[in-house]
Amino acid sequence: MELFFMTFTTGIMVGGIYALVALGWVLIYKCSGVLNLAMGELTLIGAYVTIYFYLMGIPFIVCIFFTLLIGIVLGILVERIFLDRLIGEPILAIIMVTVGLSFFFKGLVGFVWGTDTRVFTPAIFSLKPFTIGFLKISTVYFWSFVLAIVLFLVFVAFFKYTRWGLSMQATADDETAALSLGVSARFVYAASWAIAFMAAGVGGALLGNINGVNISIGYLGLLVLPAVVLGGLNSIPGAIVGGLIIGVLQNFAGTYLDAFFPGGVKEIFPFAFMAVFLLFMPYGLWGWVKIERM
Amino acid sequence: MTRVWMPCGHYHQDYARDQGWWQTPVIKGKMILLLLVVFVGFPLFLDEYWLSVAIMIGYTALGALGVQLLIGYAGLITLGHAAFIAVGAYTSTILILRFPWPEFFVNWGLAYPISIVIAAIVAGLWSVLFGLPSARVKGFYLILTTMAAQFITVDFILTQYVSQIGGRGQAFSLPPGTIKIGPWFIDSDVKVYLLMIILLTLMIMLMANLLRTRVGRAWVAIRDNDIAAETLGINIVWYKLLNFFVAGFIGGIAGAFWIANLAALSPEHFPWFLSLWLVGVILIGGAGIDGAIFGSIFMVVVMELLQIAAIPLSDYWPKLMINFAFIKEMAFGLAICAFLIYEPRGLSYRWWQAKNYFNLWPFSY
Repeated sequence: MELFFMTFTTGIMVGGIYALVALGWVLIYKCSGVLNLAMGELTLIGAYVTIYFYLMGIPFIVCIFFTLLIGIVLGILVERIFLDRLIGEPILAIIMVTVGLSFFFKGLVGFVWGTDTRVFTPAIFSLKPFTIGFLKISTVYFWSFVLAIVLFLVFVAFFKYTRWGLSMQATADDETAALSLGVSARFVYAASWAIAFMAAGVGGALLGNINGVNISIGYLGLLVLPAVVLGGLNSIPGAIVGGLIIGVLQNFAGTYLDAFFPGGVKEIFPFAFMAVFLLFMPYGLWGWVKIERM
Repeated sequence: MTRVWMPCGHYHQDYARDQGWWQTPVIKGKMILLLLVVFVGFPLFLDEYWLSVAIMIGYTALGALGVQLLIGYAGLITLGHAAFIAVGAYTSTILILRFPWPEFFVNWGLAYPISIVIAAIVAGLWSVLFGLPSARVKGFYLILTTMAAQFITVDFILTQYVSQIGGRGQAFSLPPGTIKIGPWFIDSDVKVYLLMIILLTLMIMLMANLLRTRVGRAWVAIRDNDIAAETLGINIVWYKLLNFFVAGFIGGIAGAFWIANLAALSPEHFPWFLSLWLVGVILIGGAGIDGAIFGSIFMVVVMELLQIAAIPLSDYWPKLMINFAFIKEMAFGLAICAFLIYEPRGLSYRWWQAKNYFNLWPFSY
């Protein structure tokens, strides 16, 4: 029973990070309709930028701040240079541009930083787990989760209470109506990409804290796809729930299914789950059901 | 834009000729010349290096044909085609190595050809399995399913289980002499090239012929508007699954050919990168069968040129060669983005324009 609860809490903690990255994904999709397959590489960039600054001796919180800054710049650049020209193109074109971007970023990171695993030294969070009741919680997971949730709340507050956030909500809801009210759609697209880059970058930095930073962080970032499918492509609450559920399911698969299917069940399970889930509920828990006409 | 306009003064007298492969004597002569060049000229006159480049082009083209069939003709976007190629390659290898072939088959060199056919069928069926969700979902959701196919097949089933057959861990290797077609051992680059070009020609013929039948027209109808296609009485689930089968079949052929080229096999030969690479190839190549071929030629040759350019530079900057795989990825990513933004119709569109220009000259209106 203890194992069960430990797996569960670890799942929730990792799921918090997935939820943060999933928020960025959903945001881009809601605002501009772009299905982004480059999310994994955005987390990769975030992780490498953070560790680059951290190894220079800058405090972690400041590093996160730098990551956010670079996220904004890259996000706006990517949107302006590539995605802006493809508005209204077929879905395959847009998806493949994001795939092209993901290869470009992955190649860039690999070329600049190589393939070795880097670790945050000195470790930011103490290695000793602490105990709540009978639960042992790893400090890294706990603080990563807290940071992810704080950022998440900041982003949500941004949407609810600031003028820019409201204009983004309006665009996501009805682009034509928002345009007629004087909202600049191009600004909203750029802002959504900037925020997605920021969220993914911080997510990457946190994931890098857990297992060290290497190219496979990009694969963890891809887990955001099962999460958003589960929650529904255009639902922000769905992103949270989806991220958490995927985190929990992944850890349960790693703990309990590994005995039956030795090997990489933990890595593969979210995708297998997604493939089956799509058969029964393709629009996720809270996604909009598209009704098609001729 | 599938059809090139006829030159001035040529008219079709009957339906059969309208549907013919080679519509004018000039085209017929041109195509026969092309066949002569690729079947006779290249094996005789290309040196070892460019022959291996040609083999890579052929392998890429075989894979890209299947992707073109799915994406270009039925609108079923796939990002997991490498999985089906891998299934073909593994089926063929395991059949050759583990199946108790009767002495007769081995002596006559039938084992490998039979394994190619079986590998293609198995890959096709595997492809249908992951195509089943296409009955319910499409667009982005189908992309996710095919991605799942890639991860489940290659990263899980093949890496964790199939590779363990024989107890040697990761890679299979085929001893020399196991790959034998009839009396010939496939052991030199020229023979691999000839095998490739024969398979490629057969697959192009298969695909071109399928596309002018009812099946091909049904696929195009589904691509253009699946609801309208359904109202026309096309069983869209059946035709979509058939499309997956044929695409997987061609992928299986590509996989079975791959083992003849390399004589070794490991799951690392079929990463997700390969799936995306194949989609990139058809995006750069453009529509149609010729699009898949042009795209393969362009991508493979550009990457080779990049490598040739990087070798002298690496004297000054050794990191360039060590991390060449990353440079390749960057170049590939940029090429896709650039083509989608500046040349969205791909290379085959330019080829079509050029042909029309000459066909209609001097009255281009």
